[in-house]
Amino acid sequence: MTYLKSGCWFTASWIGLLLLASHASADDEPFRPEVGKFPPLKNAHAYRGELIFVDHANRRGSIRVAGTGKFYRNDPQPFAMLPYGVIRYHGAPAELRDIPLGTVMHVRAFLPPDPKLSTVPVLPVDNKDKDVGHYRGTGTAPAENHVLLFEDEPSHCLRERKVWKLQQVEIEGNVGKIIARREPRDGGEAEEPTEELTFDAATRIWRGRERIHVADLISEEAWPEAGKKQLEGQAVLLGITWKPASGDGLSGAFTQFHISDIWLDDEAIQQAAEFQKETHKSFVRSRWMPAWIDAVEYGKFGRATVTATLFGGMDASLYSDFREGIGAQMNGAENTLKHAAGHYGPGHMASDGKLLDVTRASGDVPLGSSGIQIRFETDLIIEGIRTGRVVRVRPEGWPKMQIPREEYLFNNSPEDRFPKPDIFPEY
Amino acid sequence: MTQLRFVRRLAVFFYGACLLTKLAIADEPFRPEPGEFPPLDKAHSYRGELVFVDHANRRGSIRIDGAGRFRFAGPSPFAMLPYGMIRYRGAPADLRDIPLGTVLHVKAFLPPDPLISSVPVLPLNNRLKKLGYAGTGVAPAENHVFLLEDDLSHSLRHQLIWELNEIDIRNFSGTLTATRKPESEQDKGAVVETATFSFDAATRIWRGRELLEVADLIGEDMWPVSGKREIDGQQVHLGLAWKPTPGGVFKRFHIVDIWLDRAALDRSTRRQKENHKDFIRSRWMPARVDTVEYGKFGTAKVTVTLFGGMDESLYADFKQGSGGMLAASENTLKHWASGTAGTAQMAGKGTLTEVRSAAENIPMGSSGIQVTLETDLVTEGFRPGRIVRIRPDTWPLVEVPREEYLHDAQTTHEDRFPTPDIFPSFQR
Repeated sequence: MTYLKSGCWFTASWIGLLLLASHASADDEPFRPEVGKFPPLKNAHAYRGELIFVDHANRRGSIRVAGTGKFYRNDPQPFAMLPYGVIRYHGAPAELRDIPLGTVMHVRAFLPPDPKLSTVPVLPVDNKDKDVGHYRGTGTAPAENHVLLFEDEPSHCLRERKVWKLQQVEIEGNVGKIIARREPRDGGEAEEPTEELTFDAATRIWRGRERIHVADLISEEAWPEAGKKQLEGQAVLLGITWKPASGDGLSGAFTQFHISDIWLDDEAIQQAAEFQKETHKSFVRSRWMPAWIDAVEYGKFGRATVTATLFGGMDASLYSDFREGIGAQMNGAENTLKHAAGHYGPGHMASDGKLLDVTRASGDVPLGSSGIQIRFETDLIIEGIRTGRVVRVRPEGWPKMQIPREEYLFNNSPEDRFPKPDIFPEY
Repeated sequence: MTQLRFVRRLAVFFYGACLLTKLAIADEPFRPEPGEFPPLDKAHSYRGELVFVDHANRRGSIRIDGAGRFRFAGPSPFAMLPYGMIRYRGAPADLRDIPLGTVLHVKAFLPPDPLISSVPVLPLNNRLKKLGYAGTGVAPAENHVFLLEDDLSHSLRHQLIWELNEIDIRNFSGTLTATRKPESEQDKGAVVETATFSFDAATRIWRGRELLEVADLIGEDMWPVSGKREIDGQQVHLGLAWKPTPGGVFKRFHIVDIWLDRAALDRSTRRQKENHKDFIRSRWMPARVDTVEYGKFGTAKVTVTLFGGMDESLYADFKQGSGGMLAASENTLKHWASGTAGTAQMAGKGTLTEVRSAAENIPMGSSGIQVTLETDLVTEGFRPGRIVRIRPDTWPLVEVPREEYLHDAQTTHEDRFPTPDIFPSFQR
């Protein structure tokens, strides 16, 4: 009997351990993306924080990650965008340069695919589980600092079909607090906790194509001049930043985010998205579409046929410019998406050719990929167009432009191709 | 007769030499003296695109317009002087408020102390050098900035306005030709500058409370759907940035914002002003120590001059007899703290015993307001010539984020005086 009991316990513990292990491997285990594969979003580590520093030319920056402690104490954590990493701002594709410092971003990130080439510090794999002390709490310095998805609050809500439901405003002198909760847009159970957010006289409120201020809402009697008012779950989208919250470090709110923008209706957020979309379309047309090389078939005398997958996350109209039979250019790039151009410029250095095929994947397309594969034929293949490498592609309908000095490599020294993390201060 | 001619020639030569010397003085590189606010007219002026920002250390990089091929100009590092002023959308600003890509007007000097410069120290005559196709003056040694302002703030300060002359449009993008003129009636005819700018579907157009798109102006028949149209000098204010230009254009700035009327402009200015007021209240007013009179057992009277360029309402909060806090700072305007003990815990506390405002001749960089704080515990850092931050007790007590303070137990010389190592060296 004792033997049987012991056998049962042993089996039960094993089943328990297996369950725990399978749970851990699916959700919690650090995941390192493989070269040539778009990693699954579900394996990414998720966190959010305030954008502190941007080195847009190298697609990296720093973010103050919200943990379990006093937010203001958290050291800015360096991050690097994966070459196929997607950035979204105001519900539209964006670049790091488009996002104001201070914006609170939602992050989905992985371990560095190749730690030797990381442009940001490589941290211990279990760092996200560590309490870094000094009241900062756990999770403020994750090793998952290579970002697949970087999105601001309205982009996050639009992607997840959520809205903020305003419950109460408390105001005095155009400054105050709002109690609100992120909830499913189409109804259903709210799973997230209620948050208290600050606002002030600089908070922008967007209604249709109007930009109004807190003072305007007060004069319209939508909000009181002073005191509290119940807002009955008014559905809005919020732009969220961070400002130091009242308190001296011993008392006060440890993590309280700030509302920079309130979009009161669909027309207002659609207009914001439209401006950002047009900004980014113009950017990608001038810098070319990033892609990676799936295969190269070499011909004679420098000829080659190159198969590449265009990266995802851009406006659909940009992809529709890639059409079978049109002329195109393909240039070598790096993981930072910098052109390998030299002073002559990408238009001069790139391989010229023609798009033989443009095929679209029919099934599930992983985030990071557009699902569009092109076959490009050139009579002069250049270095850099090799399987697994990152390139930039321009269909002939896009304007030929020269890019600024910090966005291309000259002489291609290893330090320029693979920037070191030493620009980031240690705290 | 010959002797008279010789004397005349000598006099003319002398007069000419004097004029040239005067001219040369205006053009000579100028190094600010510690403890003095430098005269604005000695500053070297240039403009360019904001490319990089390290706001915690009040420095960044700017691509300077050298009348060459703009895109070839490598970003030139700059550092704000501790009393250097930043203006955006006609209101006080911090570097973090200015979007990358914005075209800025700069007034700058040589580094006051090259040994502790947080940006590269360059040869004095660098602004006269032609750097290949980038043009002349794209990397001046005058990289310590006294005044950094966007085009809108520059226009407002000089009371200038853009008059639109002609639009050429296709697919919601195109070019606008405009002339910058004085706003005043008496100088209205004078032309300061004529330029052609690009615009596109992302250009924001502000009218009263409204934010319009290019498509809206086309819909109202203000602009044509396609082709050219004379605009007959419509007066606007512009927000300028830079984007790569197609074809053989070496430099063309890009319009990101158009303010069609004063009401729209006032709304933008007000928003930036409120944003900055909140920022200063949480980070405290920067100032420079003029004198320290030491008393007994750690008491002292510290007299400081508040830096200029802030909203007037912030200065009005410094009232004689009210309480205040004074904290040591650095040229980067960073606070000092001690880990768990924040800035407020580390600051000297006391009473504002005097608040004096200068009536005239206030140099730029200074507010003209001198404040004396009497404290019973003077801390290190309150010494004549040093930078401090001061808070009247009506401002909220908050903790600044980690990158904005120096940790007194861990901070190294490199933290106090950041080295220029983070700036890449672009081969030309």
